[in-house]
Amino acid sequence: MAEEQRKPKKRMTATKAAASIGPMVKEFITGTNRARAEGKRKLAYTFIVCHHEEILRAMDVLPVWTENFAGICGVKRAAERFLQKAESLGFSRSLCTYALCGLGFDQWREELGEMPPDAPWGGQARPDFMISSGQILCDPRTKWYQAAQQFMPDVPIYNIDLPHPLFDPKKDHREVWGYYHKYIVDQLRGLVSFVEEQTGKKMDYDRLRELVALSDRTWNLVHETYELRQAVPCPMGTGDAMNTMVPLCFMMATQEAYDFYVNLKQELEEKIARGEGEVEDEKYRLLWGGGLPAWYALNDFNYLNSKGASFPAETTYRMVVPIYEMDIPETDDPIEHIAWKWLGYWTHWYDKARNRPGSEPDVERLIEYIENYKIDGVVMHLAFSCRTWHVGLIWQLHQLAKIYRPIPVLMLGGNGKGDKVQRELPSLILESDIIDITSYSEMDTRNKIDAFIETLESVRQTKAA
Amino acid sequence: MTAYYLGLDMGSAFSKGVLMKTDRVVTSYACPTGGEIKVTAERIRDEVLLKAGAAKQDILKTVATGYGSKTVFFANVTVTDMSAHAKGVIHLCPSIRTVVDIGDLYSKVFRIDSQGNLQSFLLSGKCAGGSGRALTMIAKVLQLKIEEMGEIALRSTKKVEFSTGCAVFAESEAVSRIAEGVAKEDLLAGFYRALAAQLNALAERLGLEPDYAMVGGGARNAGLVKAMEDLYGFEIVVPPDPHMTAALGAALIAAETVRQEIKVRQ
Repeated sequence: MAEEQRKPKKRMTATKAAASIGPMVKEFITGTNRARAEGKRKLAYTFIVCHHEEILRAMDVLPVWTENFAGICGVKRAAERFLQKAESLGFSRSLCTYALCGLGFDQWREELGEMPPDAPWGGQARPDFMISSGQILCDPRTKWYQAAQQFMPDVPIYNIDLPHPLFDPKKDHREVWGYYHKYIVDQLRGLVSFVEEQTGKKMDYDRLRELVALSDRTWNLVHETYELRQAVPCPMGTGDAMNTMVPLCFMMATQEAYDFYVNLKQELEEKIARGEGEVEDEKYRLLWGGGLPAWYALNDFNYLNSKGASFPAETTYRMVVPIYEMDIPETDDPIEHIAWKWLGYWTHWYDKARNRPGSEPDVERLIEYIENYKIDGVVMHLAFSCRTWHVGLIWQLHQLAKIYRPIPVLMLGGNGKGDKVQRELPSLILESDIIDITSYSEMDTRNKIDAFIETLESVRQTKAA
Repeated sequence: MTAYYLGLDMGSAFSKGVLMKTDRVVTSYACPTGGEIKVTAERIRDEVLLKAGAAKQDILKTVATGYGSKTVFFANVTVTDMSAHAKGVIHLCPSIRTVVDIGDLYSKVFRIDSQGNLQSFLLSGKCAGGSGRALTMIAKVLQLKIEEMGEIALRSTKKVEFSTGCAVFAESEAVSRIAEGVAKEDLLAGFYRALAAQLNALAERLGLEPDYAMVGGGARNAGLVKAMEDLYGFEIVVPPDPHMTAALGAALIAAETVRQEIKVRQ
């Protein structure tokens, strides 16, 4: 509790765009509360990266991003009382702490009949319905809203399944993805019917087509904008990207999201023209290779920056590949296109992985970023309460070290002469949680960072020409 | 003027100092860290200087390491304890490539190159399980001196399963086992196996490369070293005074830093 009361030092951003995100998030949280009070629009609890925002926005449904609200509680170090509330209801602390925070909050709000005292940014609005999707990997997402129905039995749930073919090094995924496509299209059409029933409106397919096209343009723009971070020095790091992911993950199918990336792209181009980096003296270029961040400790990015470390790329929340690079069939049906886009994204690294013995799509993605962004080391964060995204990260690092040794170093051999050997990229694994601050130790984390920087420096000094 | 180099390792339980002259260790000193790290650091410096018959101004460079290193106001440089251990270990045993450090707060496994540079590492994290603190808890329950615990475990004749390396649960489990009438030596041997299994999980995540060494206060415990060797199936080198290798490494880094500074000036 004592730690929670300590106000975190505000993280310094490298871009104006990232600095503008806080008010934007505050607005869409307070906006849902205004909408609740006005009662004109339907509100839906839901999750990010489910490729259904176009459907919701086409039908004027306002999404309430429950993971985002839990993350805000984490950033503001205000999650502990909601976690404790969920524990008092019998939920274990080892479950997803986003879900725990949300459930604790919901129960409290329903019990009081109003927002819990000092709820961050006015609190999370009560939904009209809930749309869940565990994709094919996150079981807490599937169970979260079912558990929430204990406190809101009048609020219906619709669950969508979003599978994709699993990687098989001996098979081309295109042989089977037609079956997956048909299934996803059925799921999305089912969602349309459910939302029509809940809102009493019919889907306007012309509007949906426009919003899908807008999302496609935004996807391509995000890709082009983030590719600018290949510049040396890097104009924007992962610390900022944990902010700039907001329009991509929470505001897709809106003009505001598109305009945000137009402005960010321009800002990065200007910084590159001025030779301005995220850090003043860039010594090490790091890849955030996986894991959701510890939202209450985003200052750790500033600490890494203070050591000359910049983060030109991350796999977390960069959930786009350009549409024109996807090998997917063309269609005029917006629902069918959404389903192909889903399959195209999740199978994007399959061909590359098949061509490198021992590789896997996730490892291939790491290699692509390491090469394109001139990466010196990989940082990952293991959040104990989220097995969905975090199981397998260490395995990825092991596979990476096994099949990819890009650094030539001179080692003193037994003959006293320097022998040139190839070594793997240094890596750092941070461990804590997404919002449970009791799992975090600043001293421990910074000690690990210091040791990692010493490792990077020793590699830099022994690197062969 | 004689050139001395001072290495200080400010650990959470014990602090250590090594004074070197050129590339030779002159003297060393260790004492409990206590509540005032700055005072302890000064005390160690004064003790080694007194033993060496030297004065403060004879120290050309001081390098501090350990969790309290950043509060040593007279240190010229601070480095992490893993980098310091790496330099110390490679100086004493040049063939070592993997090091297990059992400190009071954390356990660490790290790989080093032939020049004593840190290559990769893993720490045990915020939880004290698998750390030296767990040893202290068991010593308290069994009313033993920590330095005699290792030898007692070597006399074990009966295999007792101990389920946890957690510092808190280990205490309650030890109390239960005593109540069951389990002999101290068997209980300790079982506890070390549980601790070794926990450290092994860390080591396997990192990947091991021979030769292997154990350092830190925990490496002075022969029972724990044996449990690790039994689990791994290979020999683990314990350098002389394994609790001092970080302080030694810090002194070596101090000397190396001065040599490089002179080279740059020339």
